[in-house]
Amino acid sequence: MPKVKSKNDVNEKLDEELKAIFSGDIPWVTIVWDDPVNLMTYVTYVLMELFGYNKEKAHELMMKVHTEGKAVVSTGSREEMEHDVARLHEYGLWATLQRGDQAL
Amino acid sequence: MSEVQHGFFRHGDNSYLANFTEAEREVLLNLAEQIIELLAERVDHHNEDPLAAMVGITVHDTPPEDEVLLRLLPNAYADQVDASEFRRYTESTLRQKKQAHAMAMRMHLKAAVDGVVELDHDGANAWLGAMNDVRLALGVRLRVDTNTQQDLELLAPDDPMRGVYAVYSWLGWLQESLIDALMDESQ
Repeated sequence: MPKVKSKNDVNEKLDEELKAIFSGDIPWVTIVWDDPVNLMTYVTYVLMELFGYNKEKAHELMMKVHTEGKAVVSTGSREEMEHDVARLHEYGLWATLQRGDQAL
Repeated sequence: MSEVQHGFFRHGDNSYLANFTEAEREVLLNLAEQIIELLAERVDHHNEDPLAAMVGITVHDTPPEDEVLLRLLPNAYADQVDASEFRRYTESTLRQKKQAHAMAMRMHLKAAVDGVVELDHDGANAWLGAMNDVRLALGVRLRVDTNTQQDLELLAPDDPMRGVYAVYSWLGWLQESLIDALMDESQ
């Protein structure tokens, strides 16, 4: 039976969000941006190598970068995302990090 | 370049081979050396704190003015304050890692016997990174962001960019051949 969204559920969700904001648990994200030079196969390969993604997942993310101009490729703490961005830069992908709750 | 083109191919477990002509080997060596030079530290000795430099912290927190270097060493944050802080602590390491890729490529080319280069998985990754850095650098000069492929293919025979585009295309093809060989392994 479909569950009707009660006022209680909405409040719970808000509580969770507020808790996340004040406890510093808001995740950060690493974004890869589309670039006219990097080969599609290269972007896929780098995502597989650096993040251990399988070919399907890496290909899907690469296609998102290619068609939408950008994609979130990893999520975690700020320190973890700084590490991911540094590794992506090492291999020439155009990457930035930002707070996950900021508009992409 | 060579008439029969193979690029890289897989040769047993964890081994990738390519057979270059002397002209190709020289072009690749030259490009690797230019990248190594390009990525050398910005010299600013009178401002440098030697102890900070030793642990990879530099006084540089502004993005490079050269647009090729800016593409190779991009900002990590959209926010300029965060980007500067990140750059101050990481740019030096990033330069060294990219240089290490190009140095590995140079070493393999120097050690090649009869033009045959043999790479293991780590060597292949270093080559991919180095070839990509060269393509990024050439791509800035060729303005691949605004020029279409057709624009570049129709460059006049006497246009100096024509040769640059030929190298850029060939490197893309070579990079792709190595990725194909590596992907073959991961299946």
